[in-house]
Amino acid sequence: MSRHLSSLRAAVRLVGLVAVRAGAQTSDPLFKLDQTSRFVVDATIDSAKVAGLPWNFLILRAREGISKGADSRHIAAAVRARFASLKDARALFGNISDGELNAAAGLLEARGVRPEHLAPLKNQPRGRSIVSALTVLGDLVTKGIPSEEASSAIIKLWQGGAGDADFMGLYHNVESDILQGLNPGIALQNRMRESLGPSGKLLPRAGESETPSP
Amino acid sequence: MTESDDQTYVEWIAREARRPVVMGPAARTRIMDAVRAEPAPRRRFWHRLIEPRLISASPIASLALAAGLVGIGVFGGTFVNNRDGLTSTGLPQAVPALPIARVPVSDTVKVMTFRFIAPQAAKVSLVGDFNGWSVDETPMTRVDNGGVWSVTVPLSVGRHLYSFVVDSQDWIADPRAPVAPDDGFGHANSVVLVSRGSSS
Repeated sequence: MSRHLSSLRAAVRLVGLVAVRAGAQTSDPLFKLDQTSRFVVDATIDSAKVAGLPWNFLILRAREGISKGADSRHIAAAVRARFASLKDARALFGNISDGELNAAAGLLEARGVRPEHLAPLKNQPRGRSIVSALTVLGDLVTKGIPSEEASSAIIKLWQGGAGDADFMGLYHNVESDILQGLNPGIALQNRMRESLGPSGKLLPRAGESETPSP
Repeated sequence: MTESDDQTYVEWIAREARRPVVMGPAARTRIMDAVRAEPAPRRRFWHRLIEPRLISASPIASLALAAGLVGIGVFGGTFVNNRDGLTSTGLPQAVPALPIARVPVSDTVKVMTFRFIAPQAAKVSLVGDFNGWSVDETPMTRVDNGGVWSVTVPLSVGRHLYSFVVDSQDWIADPRAPVAPDDGFGHANSVVLVSRGSSS
């Protein structure tokens, strides 16, 4: 009897150990990180929770790195960088949605983009999202347009009352010009002249009348 | 009482204590009869539940039982989500590639179709923040012989980063979408903006 009980205990311990490891790996998306990097990532996530920042984006950042085959130290550094930029974005924009905060944080990590470039976007009117402005700005910077020039263009459109469709229209037009061989900076300047009138007010897009038709 | 008297007294006690107690042959029977005559103590129901007891089982049966318990635990842990639609790890739920007719559409979730042209590819996946950057979560389907791959997914309103993964190794940004600034991992991401009125 006692031998059977010992066997039972040993079997349960063995299978339990295997299950704990298997369960930990299936439920823990970050199990592939090495011990030191894992500690850094966990500590950064804890700091984000304490600071009231959307820490889920830090986990996603780590998972993105894991999926893309980055090494653990690189991933930990990317998570710390995102935490820092989330803090900067919160300091700059205050209480905006988590999605907007993460978009701003990602942009602040781009080369040459500084908080003062984005400052005019804060205090946006209720119901007006800065996500499309940030998205198109990020795309322009990625195309090699200097961040000061790109952010200046986006801010002018924003202050002229541009909405999501206007920003996406600018993106498509600049993209089209670049595909036809135009320099990205020149393409942006040309399209900005088309978009803004001399007073800096947004001009109606092609096919739109200035006053709403009855 | 002197110290010598103390010693004598202690020795006498020790001697008496060591002397075996001789019981008559009927004594044991009398004691057991008296015990049996006592009414059994009434045990409460929950005492029976928590009382330890011995269970005998063969090693094979033990392993089968333990494996079953582990299976239940792993299955439960994998599929338990919290009320916000996030998994126990705090991540958004994976987005399965569902047919349009079965996708719940609401103010905060929109159906989006992604297409990608890769004639030479044997396998293409849609990977993004909406599926936890999982390469296996959202496979695309080849829709024609021209190499067009497609998948339709429900996405929450907002901004999402994504990429296409060709043959499980090549990360390629969507050429028809804005690109996000450097992802820091050596592969560019595309951006999709999902607004309340959008569907694509």
